[in-house]
Amino acid sequence: MAEVVLRRLLATVPVLLLVTAGVFALLHLTPGDPVDAMMAESADASTKESLRRELGLDRPIAVQYAAWMGRLLRGDLGRSIRNGEPVLENVSRRIRPSLQLALLAMAIALTIAFPVAIASAVRHNTGVDRLGTTFALFGICMPNFLLALLLIFVFGVTLRWLPISGYLDPLEEGWSGLRSLILPAVTLGLALAAVITRTLRSSLLEALAEDYVRTARAKGLSEWVVIRGHVLKNALIPVVTVLGLQLGTLIGGAVITEYVFALPGVGRLVVDAVFARDYPLVQGVILLIALGFIVSNLLVDLLYGYIDPRIRLR
Amino acid sequence: MVTRRDFVKSCAVASGAAVVGLRPGAAAAADGPKKGGTLRVGFYIEAATMDPHLSGSKVDRQVYHNIYEPLVTLDTRLGIKPGLAESWSQPDPKTLVFKLRRGVKFHDGTDFNAEAAKFNFDRMKTEPKSIRKGEVANIDTVEVVDAATLKVNLKKADASLLATLTDRAGMMISPKVVQERGVELGRNARGAGTGPFEFVEWVKDDHLLIKRNESYWNKQGGPYLERVRYRPIPDDTVKLQSLQGGEIDVIDYVQPRDVAAVKTDKNVMVVDVPSLADFAYQLNHGRPPFNVKALRQAVAYAIDLEQIVKGVWLNVGYPANGPIPPTSWAYDKAIPPIKRDLAKVKARLAEGGKPGGFEFTMTTNNIPLSVQEAEVIQAQLREAGITMKIRLVDASTLISDGNAKNFEMISFQWSGRPDPDGNVYQFFKTTPGTSFNWSGISHPQLDALLDRSREVSAQAERKKIFSEVTKILQDELPMIFIVHPIEPKAFSQRVQGYEAIPDGMMRFKDVWLK
Amino acid sequence: MDTSTRAFVFAEPAPAVNDRRWGALRRAARARLAPFGAAVLLAAIVVALAAPLLSPYDPLAQDLGNVLARPGRVHWLGTDNVGRDVLSRVIWGTRVSLVAGFVSVAIAAAAGGVLGMLAGYAGGRADGVVMRLMDAVLSLPPLVLALALGAVLGAGLTGVLLALGVVYTPAFARLMRGQVLSVKTRDYVEAARALGASGWWIARRHVLPNAATPIVVQASLSVAFAILAEASLSFLGLGIQPPAASWGSMINAGRGYLQQAPWIVFGPGAALFVTVVALNFVGDAIRDGLDPRLRG
Repeated sequence: MAEVVLRRLLATVPVLLLVTAGVFALLHLTPGDPVDAMMAESADASTKESLRRELGLDRPIAVQYAAWMGRLLRGDLGRSIRNGEPVLENVSRRIRPSLQLALLAMAIALTIAFPVAIASAVRHNTGVDRLGTTFALFGICMPNFLLALLLIFVFGVTLRWLPISGYLDPLEEGWSGLRSLILPAVTLGLALAAVITRTLRSSLLEALAEDYVRTARAKGLSEWVVIRGHVLKNALIPVVTVLGLQLGTLIGGAVITEYVFALPGVGRLVVDAVFARDYPLVQGVILLIALGFIVSNLLVDLLYGYIDPRIRLR
Repeated sequence: MVTRRDFVKSCAVASGAAVVGLRPGAAAAADGPKKGGTLRVGFYIEAATMDPHLSGSKVDRQVYHNIYEPLVTLDTRLGIKPGLAESWSQPDPKTLVFKLRRGVKFHDGTDFNAEAAKFNFDRMKTEPKSIRKGEVANIDTVEVVDAATLKVNLKKADASLLATLTDRAGMMISPKVVQERGVELGRNARGAGTGPFEFVEWVKDDHLLIKRNESYWNKQGGPYLERVRYRPIPDDTVKLQSLQGGEIDVIDYVQPRDVAAVKTDKNVMVVDVPSLADFAYQLNHGRPPFNVKALRQAVAYAIDLEQIVKGVWLNVGYPANGPIPPTSWAYDKAIPPIKRDLAKVKARLAEGGKPGGFEFTMTTNNIPLSVQEAEVIQAQLREAGITMKIRLVDASTLISDGNAKNFEMISFQWSGRPDPDGNVYQFFKTTPGTSFNWSGISHPQLDALLDRSREVSAQAERKKIFSEVTKILQDELPMIFIVHPIEPKAFSQRVQGYEAIPDGMMRFKDVWLK
Repeated sequence: MDTSTRAFVFAEPAPAVNDRRWGALRRAARARLAPFGAAVLLAAIVVALAAPLLSPYDPLAQDLGNVLARPGRVHWLGTDNVGRDVLSRVIWGTRVSLVAGFVSVAIAAAAGGVLGMLAGYAGGRADGVVMRLMDAVLSLPPLVLALALGAVLGAGLTGVLLALGVVYTPAFARLMRGQVLSVKTRDYVEAARALGASGWWIARRHVLPNAATPIVVQASLSVAFAILAEASLSFLGLGIQPPAASWGSMINAGRGYLQQAPWIVFGPGAALFVTVVALNFVGDAIRDGLDPRLRG
């Protein structure tokens, strides 16, 4: 087991190399550099030049990349050009809201998806099923930014039930913190619920068609018992895959939601850094996100093997 | 259409009245200023650094004007009045002597005196990452005459320097804090300033907190507020809705499209602050088609400024006749903005050798208002037979292309400076290499006028010079000036005592909450 | 998760229903929706092609005296912030969105197909390199990748198409590679090989026909997401250059006016939503129709 994990992790090294090199190249090909962005209101050429020299931006790209790699191997992710703080600190500050948002969104998604998917599968091809699949379809097709704006308008401005911007940490501020996350979490969660509903419904239908289920039904067990007892566990596998993939990308990918709700999350951090050409920050965060994605994939595969012995990692 | 009378009138209203819009009637206030409360402010981004010498961003200044103080400061008519310097004199054109206020202490308890001031100027000039270098370039040496007297020796006469010292270049930081904290000052400014408020904490990406300075030297008026809390809210709509929903008390800017609606909202007060800014498009004199003056003029005559200000800016701004805004004493209302004239367009096109029109690309910033303006200009030019393509880029690319002179026509939005020189000199003076003279204009007569405007100190004479400059600019067209925007600021009804100063900085010293 | 991100992660795999009764029932249910989806899609294509004829006004014609007009008899969907007819812009926007969807997926399918075949056939080193490259692309947050690519490739629809093409390529590469691998080991292929058939001939004769099905399924499902993805990129300011508009850029431009003039957002919003839903119906139908396990 351990050697499998190790082998997988080793295999990711070339991938990470490709990712970081690719991002590095892209960033440096993009017009504009961090010094111009930082000193937007000043045309002082000599200060800009000395800043560039200090940041090593005047050296050839390959040299810069090698230098970055060298620092990385020593465990130093570098410092953000804009605020001078270590990249790791920048990220760790932003991880908490992103993580909380992701988890809350998942909780909302699962709370909605499970009953809807189960009801759809059980009452297959009835009105309930039609409603469920329609909900799932609409959730997948709804543009996320539109949903966010509608929710803000209805719940924030018209009804004034919930705060529409800013972030308060639920762990510190308790209920007000939670309130600040509800609208963004619902925006993400509804979309996620749609995907999970679809997946779960399909796999439930598939599992319900298995022989052993027919046997259980023949024995006279009610549909509910059948599902709870036998079917649900097996049907969970694809759902676990989906969730695993989503967690990996939810953290780095909720950019638009973070923008609209003014949440200080990781997604916005990366995009802002790209716009400001804050090279070390972009490099560092991309690396961490890619790493996170790979690790979460690995965990999902391991979990797979645990749930279903038939699908062990080889 | 905004007539000249209209905008002169609004200038008077905005800059003449001491306290704009908020106090129901100065004498009638039965409830006078109350102490206490936390003012919650929403800005579109958060500050970049708490060190005024290293600061390059406009939002930083908003916080600085509450915790730091400059040597001299601005009044509502952009006149210069005493700040940390009680008075000043000029024994000769190349010398400035400041008499500093006594008994002022930094928040860390150390004294503010001439030594501290000299320390600050030296740092601005010598600190490698100092962004103030260009602003204090004309300062040769600074001498401490005695604890309360500072002598500043200039390399050349510079009439604009005093105005520059009303902002970051004149702000005094505690030397002890700089020496002890070094680069940490950018994040932590505790004890560093002398202002009515002092720095408490800055939780990045979340909020910045300042609190009342109980031992503030100025015993007249405020500070009344207990604390001020700044929060970054990048989305305009969300920011406005936060204010309307009561989550915050102040926002720094209302988009033109929202102004009319917000003014009818009874929970919110809007204050129109005419700014110092000028928004324009730079034309590249170094490459076709705009190396030909006639073609530049063709485009200028094809643009309908009034339609843009009315239709895009919704009259939240004044059509521009040049780089100097109506709020400035140097503004010459006798020079009208360039008026659209399709006949003249035809004539200029023929003169420039393109009687059938021509094609070019405009590079502009990827924000809604800029895009809208570009689209309107494109339509206006199309009517005149000129084809304009729009190229949208992000802010970094815009700056980089401008600096590299990699454009034909490029958007340029300058936030403005209290002295007209700040809106003029570096943009139109012949400058080799990289500078804000993106157009590359090199006009000997213009250069001479610009230099004279700095040597001469009498305002009336400087005004005449700037009028000459404006006329040349309208002819040579290094830039096509569009608008001097108004910056509407919005407050909840609880906020009282705000005084609008045209530099757009929100100073909360005398503000209190009902 | 964000539509933006979700739109980049391709749809979940087709479920295998091995019971006849269930399969037939499901197909019946789908069959009812699929024609509706196909009809909408066809309508969209017609609208895109016939935009100059169908559009009541010039989508670029500004009327600064009549901005933000409510929907009414003169302007069925009202006017936007510079007085342009919203309906006309929605009609012309159909072109952009459909092109964005189909072309980017076509690019991805072509690039991914070639890469996948290369990887599958060459095996060994080349396979390793190609797959690592695909993994690298997949492990980046898609929006960030598209943003960076867009910034480098410059503003405009081309940049967006290429960026989306790159982002969707790994899915097709994996698919094609899987197909090649499974076909490579079949008896008749080995026989053909023994008889001296070249790799290309085998590819054309056996691999491509077999691969066509899953690729078409994947493509049909991806197009809907590609359209959503283009809208999301427009939201962040990439993509189509003004004054032309895509539905996404219209929603972005109109979002500041949501309270005053919601039709600027809902016109294109509804068009976007309906088209994506229709594409999903069609995609599902194609998937179910072509799925060999569902037949007979």
